[in-house]
Amino acid sequence: MSEDTLIIYEEETRQIETLLSKMLKGAEAKCALLVDKDGHLISRQGFTQSLDTTALAALLAGSFASTKEIARLVGEDEFSVLFHQGKKDHIHMSLVGDRSILVVVFDDRTTIGMVRLYAKEVAVELAKVFDQIRENAKKEGGKSGISDDFASMAQDRLDDIFQD
Amino acid sequence: MVSINYSAREVCCKIVYYGPGLSGKTTNLQYVHSKVPGNTRGDLISLATEADRTLYFDFLPINIGTINGFAAKFQLYTVPGQVYYNATRKLVLRGVDGVVFVADSQPDKMDENIESLINLEENLREYGYDIDNMPLVIQYNKRDLPGVMPVADLDARLNPKGRHTFEASATVGNGVFDTLKLIIKLVLDKAKSGGTTSSTRPSLETNPVAHKPQPVAAVAEETPIQAVASPQPPSPPPSAPTAQANESAATDASQQPSFDEPLLGGPANASAPPMPQAEAPQTMPSQATPVADSSDYRPYPGDRKKYPESPTPAAIETPQSHPVTESPSMERPVPESDMDQIESSRPSMAPPLKRRKTEKKRGFFKRLFGIK
Repeated sequence: MSEDTLIIYEEETRQIETLLSKMLKGAEAKCALLVDKDGHLISRQGFTQSLDTTALAALLAGSFASTKEIARLVGEDEFSVLFHQGKKDHIHMSLVGDRSILVVVFDDRTTIGMVRLYAKEVAVELAKVFDQIRENAKKEGGKSGISDDFASMAQDRLDDIFQD
Repeated sequence: MVSINYSAREVCCKIVYYGPGLSGKTTNLQYVHSKVPGNTRGDLISLATEADRTLYFDFLPINIGTINGFAAKFQLYTVPGQVYYNATRKLVLRGVDGVVFVADSQPDKMDENIESLINLEENLREYGYDIDNMPLVIQYNKRDLPGVMPVADLDARLNPKGRHTFEASATVGNGVFDTLKLIIKLVLDKAKSGGTTSSTRPSLETNPVAHKPQPVAAVAEETPIQAVASPQPPSPPPSAPTAQANESAATDASQQPSFDEPLLGGPANASAPPMPQAEAPQTMPSQATPVADSSDYRPYPGDRKKYPESPTPAAIETPQSHPVTESPSMERPVPESDMDQIESSRPSMAPPLKRRKTEKKRGFFKRLFGIK
């Protein structure tokens, strides 16, 4: 499982945010989320105040995962792009590297073509950032988790919250 | 995988409730959702059929608040229990940190329990997880029903390896929180086994390729951890979902200004008009119009957006039109207040220009025909 390790430093975080921001401006989209395939939100940019990004990330990852199975059934590895069209807002999802999903929410102020174009460009850049992250992780080889006191404090908090 | 996000200062774990159909997985989540304070949990999202059978998964995010500067978040998932939903059930297991196996205590459900347990082991193996190393709690549910199997028999059939078990009755909530607390404890115990998260990076280097960073976040032996590092000081401990909302609002608020910046590159930037151009409509009205157009919406090649009707010369002339031509914000291309100003300026500004044009034309014809 160690090859699944993903460690992102602040430089990479900034790079990711800059790339997402640039893509948003170029494509004139509303917001962009970077979600990993497990459903965790990695980064977000744009107008996301009104969105429940936690739930959105989980559902989008689930949606992407289900299409992967569909792809497998029709003989594809996976579908790299997914598009949901609504009346006003639309969602474009594309694969970044092999473990992340770029989600762009946009409306009729821009076009699907523009979003695709910019998403494709930025996906290449983001994939490079993730490659860099992976290389750094390999070089590091260090492992750390959460501290002992974190676990014990969490346990105390749980006792307070979860009371019948 | 346990996700430690140093940028957002949060630790996130994924816990999956597994088990045969109708064993009470969704009921567990519903009970947690109903009893946990509103500021601690998010919405319960249920992808279910019309008959309330889970089709894909149920999802309940829980935020127990800030601990050591980190918001501790847990994402609770359930899987569809029916045998024929195995494909979707497997998908939910991706990146799991801990599993609660909800078994039905009724004797006639024993075969289904065993089948589901074997299926769990198989699906975990497909992701490369070993069920023996996975935090697992077995919950014997429906203990309130008459004629249920004794716990000793259940243990003999379902728990030969002596994993943690709880008796529960999810509809009334018996054992639900005990199960959840224990699985969270097991998950955190496993995550902490790798070391500490206290190290921070001494300095930021501009060249990410060249630097040899010290780990700011890393991963436990068995559990892959995804971490987004940022040595910023911990945000003041907000309380739970409100905290999440605040955090997202703060993040977004800090991002908003970027939308007001001019565009980077592209044809839009190239055509961004300096104001003097827009102020020369009298000498070159035919050129001023397209320039003002392009500045309004930062178009790109093949742009099909709805431009305003070709702006009146008055709008181009007036200084009030500046915000319109400068505003790159897609959300608010023209502030309403500015629009009002422009609108109100039209009647007063248009006549003089019209008059000037008419006089110019009249002068031309007078000269042409020698009229005095």
